[in-house]
Amino acid sequence: MAAVAPTRTRPPWVDVIGGQLLALGGAFLFAAIAGALIIQAYGVSPVEVYRIIWVYGTSELSDVGRVLAHATPLIFSGLAVAVAFKAGMFNIGVEGQYIVALATAAAAALTLDFLPAFLLLPAVLLSAMLGGVIWALIPALLKVRTGAHEVVTTIMMNGIALSLVAWALLNPMRTSDQGVIDLRTDIFSTKALIPKIATTFGLEEQIPPSVHLTWLFPLALVACWLVWFLLFRTRLGYEIRAIGSSSGSAEAGGISIQALQIKAFLISGALGGLVGMNSLLGDRGYLAHNYEIGLGFAGITVAFLGRNHPFGIALSAILLGLLARGQDGVAVSFDLPSETLIILEGILILSVVVAYELVRRALNRRRKHAVRTEESSAVPRERADASS
Amino acid sequence: MPLLDLGVAIAIGLRYFTIIYLAGLGGLFSERSGIVNIGLEGMMIIGTVFGAWGTLEWGPVAGLLIGAGAGLVLSLVHAIATVTFRVDHIVSGVVINVVAIGMGRFFAQTFFGQATQSDPSIPHFDKFDVPLLSSLPAGLGRAFEGMSPMVPVAFLLTIPVLFLLNRTRFGLRLRSAGENPEATTAVGVRVAPLRYAGVAISGTLAGLSGAFLAIEVNELYHEGQTQGMGFIALAALILGNWKPVSLMLGSLLFGFAQAIPLRLGDAPVISLMPEQFIRMIPYVVTIIAIAGFVGRVNPPAAAGRAYEGAGGTL
Repeated sequence: MAAVAPTRTRPPWVDVIGGQLLALGGAFLFAAIAGALIIQAYGVSPVEVYRIIWVYGTSELSDVGRVLAHATPLIFSGLAVAVAFKAGMFNIGVEGQYIVALATAAAAALTLDFLPAFLLLPAVLLSAMLGGVIWALIPALLKVRTGAHEVVTTIMMNGIALSLVAWALLNPMRTSDQGVIDLRTDIFSTKALIPKIATTFGLEEQIPPSVHLTWLFPLALVACWLVWFLLFRTRLGYEIRAIGSSSGSAEAGGISIQALQIKAFLISGALGGLVGMNSLLGDRGYLAHNYEIGLGFAGITVAFLGRNHPFGIALSAILLGLLARGQDGVAVSFDLPSETLIILEGILILSVVVAYELVRRALNRRRKHAVRTEESSAVPRERADASS
Repeated sequence: MPLLDLGVAIAIGLRYFTIIYLAGLGGLFSERSGIVNIGLEGMMIIGTVFGAWGTLEWGPVAGLLIGAGAGLVLSLVHAIATVTFRVDHIVSGVVINVVAIGMGRFFAQTFFGQATQSDPSIPHFDKFDVPLLSSLPAGLGRAFEGMSPMVPVAFLLTIPVLFLLNRTRFGLRLRSAGENPEATTAVGVRVAPLRYAGVAISGTLAGLSGAFLAIEVNELYHEGQTQGMGFIALAALILGNWKPVSLMLGSLLFGFAQAIPLRLGDAPVISLMPEQFIRMIPYVVTIIAIAGFVGRVNPPAAAGRAYEGAGGTL
């Protein structure tokens, strides 16, 4: 025992990556087992359920298309949550930001109709981002100026957004077509819409038009890369991460916290603005009162599952897309409420959060211990001492 | 006619006061013990679905108890995450809220056969008229007619809460865990069990609040009926400076703000606004109240901070 060398030969990043993989694996295993117990309670074979989820999401090109189409808005909302989180803030208001953005984007699509296609679509997307930014600005300013916690204010802004868009749809934006009873805007011209990937590559045979996989998906991946570049390769990103991990020392290091918090929150809002675009511009081509809600809250799950890392977010969004597609399979194949998969998702996210916290603390302890042993290297300690 | 509306608005305001106050008291116990509980909304959601199921099966008393119990169970998840595993309080609370939405759908599907709502008119308590007050003239008496017995219960709850917090050993220790856990440990009192207790009381009251909302106010379960009131309860807690009586006043303010769009749409000034803007009033009031007061209050000193010392884990 005493022969064990106290110095560690592994470089620290091996511990970090290894620890994270261990945490992720452990959390997935725990969730899979807990989920299996619930599924078993309904008298259904869990293995069979997990197999069907996989089959429904991957067996045909159209299935993959559905999964990726589902992942597209989730990537944007996950990124929005993550950018704010990296700065130490919680943007629970992605929900309201994308709802307002639906209205600003629809307004742009309808009023800027005269623009040529290559200008109109970017203008519409920019309007969406602008809508998200405006809605994020209020809680950001309130936080910096008054200290009002963004969790409470953004939730309130979500409620206000719903009423505001309801009002807009009933009044200024309502279609002038008297024959339409539905509460919706006019239909956008086709040049405002985002082309489908299947159409571009002539894959309409394999991927039916009901699959709304558009060029917004590759754009979402580009957004992941951009956010990664911003966070890890620019000064702004460095400062954002600094205030997120330790605002006290960041301030001591000469970083102005308030301006950065506002910047980070506005970037978050801009990303949030794009959440609703796949359904608005890739599916419907108009804004109606029954637009999809809840995508902003789903972004919280995506971000935490992806460890608030842009590439992790892309993967976790695809995983949630797979589970969402799997719900169809479960509903068709088993006598099991498809909401079971929502519970599975919940267990997964809880265990991921706890597992990463455990690993983070274990690594911290190790690092401290390593420093301590280096300092007192004259007296090599025994392993048993370290593990106590 | 406007006075009659005012009377009814007060009656509705008192119901919403009860929802917000019960959840706010929950937040108070948790935060005074040092654990921030953003998950109140989620615990209320679980309270609504289990409360509605309980009352359908065994009547309103059981419904309220089962709803409170469900909130308690979910709050234990928060306690395990924050106290034992020392996960960031807000991360855990946010996750609890997201998970609760999914659980609401799951259990509604299991209990009611549909994911988004129960049948209407679930069993509830007999309403009663408050003696004397309900015979106030000019329509104001309407404010005190047909009241749920839970409304006075919520008001009266203030007395045992004050006693528990300020006059018992448990209350003193709970508060010390939230103000200065190091000192608490130094005098030989373990912090972790106190914080577990604070969070558990919190979840119980939030679950009760949700059950009251489903059983007594809406008389059915439907998805999303909490409408962010768990967060409004947190705002009331801030406004009330983490003290029960001030929290009660803050809850009254937010409760009446909720009643405005429901009943005072025809009142002077308000009637000039489009209906959708009237519906924003409760949210706007909350934002203004938070922004205006947050700098002038004293949250429990250690709330939100993970405690690493001995006794920090069970």
